[in-house]
Amino acid sequence: MGVPTALAFALPLAVAIAAVGSAFGLGRAVSAAMEAMGRQPEAAGKIQVGMIIGCALIEALTIYALATVFLFMDRVH
Amino acid sequence: MSHFFFKWLYPVMTLTEGGTEEVAGPPELPNIVTLLSHWFHDNVIVAFLHHWENIFFAFVVGAGLSILAFLSSRRASLIPGGLQNFMEMAVEGLDNFFAGILGKDARHFTPFLGTLFLYIWCMNLLGLIPGFMSPTGGVRGGYNITVSLAISVFLYVQYTGIRRLGLGGYLHHFAGSPTTVIQWVLVPLNLPIHILGEFAKPLSLSLRLFGNITGEDVLIAAFAGLGITALAFLNLPIGLPLHVPFIFLAILTGTIQALVFTLLSTIYFSMMLPHEEHH
Repeated sequence: MGVPTALAFALPLAVAIAAVGSAFGLGRAVSAAMEAMGRQPEAAGKIQVGMIIGCALIEALTIYALATVFLFMDRVH
Repeated sequence: MSHFFFKWLYPVMTLTEGGTEEVAGPPELPNIVTLLSHWFHDNVIVAFLHHWENIFFAFVVGAGLSILAFLSSRRASLIPGGLQNFMEMAVEGLDNFFAGILGKDARHFTPFLGTLFLYIWCMNLLGLIPGFMSPTGGVRGGYNITVSLAISVFLYVQYTGIRRLGLGGYLHHFAGSPTTVIQWVLVPLNLPIHILGEFAKPLSLSLRLFGNITGEDVLIAAFAGLGITALAFLNLPIGLPLHVPFIFLAILTGTIQALVFTLLSTIYFSMMLPHEEHH
């Protein structure tokens, strides 16, 4: 198994695993935000902004995996 | 006649291969520069534009925003109407937003941070207009734009730290602000961690913005290619607009990423500035 084959196997797997992790994290973040909004509906605006920012930060880690894919993409022929 | 028509239109339909000429990269939609370089690939100016594609589109955004600012501020009246009113609403909204995080220092940093937000937002959305591409994305040159923005934020934060805290206070802040004996003992541990964290900030900022926008552009291009392949049996230059839902997603992502970049920069400023102790 040469490097291109190994990369062709590993790169999509990397993004998939990162997506699973981010799905768990985002699920927890959004569910906590929904619960907080349900408890105090008048603060819903602030909670929503915080949730969006938290989601963007969690998503960033998945995007690092995607960026690594872009970095190694040319080696897969 | 139809051969000439298809020969001219061919790159618009099928120029969806990104990357360099040697290796195929992820698909991307054609824009003005890639179309020009396909039609006139011997021209020096076109080759120059194709090489500096991202900077060209960043200039387009900068010129557009500058023209907008100029048009809204000439003959400025005390009771604004129309464009000036809209721009004042935007600026005041941004100022209030930064004031929520920075406090009274917000007015000093609003020009930089507000410009950052509007610039990144317009750059992200530019890719959705047919014929343009987002300068912040694109596997060839997009990382240059985002890393330059992140480095400028980084340098401005360090400069603000040195200016506001003084050199001694700046180093004291990097050592973890030790006050008790135990914290002074832990300085050799805190210092490298803090410095490393400080360098990780522009890295994460740039990579986050670049990855999100490139990913969105690749997604749109992939689905546009899918739509073209779906109707390929007709041999006509039309395809299904399968990428339209992802354009809405790209609008959302572009806005959120601009917001996150600006918000994180604001938080880095607020962390560097002297904060009052709420004991």
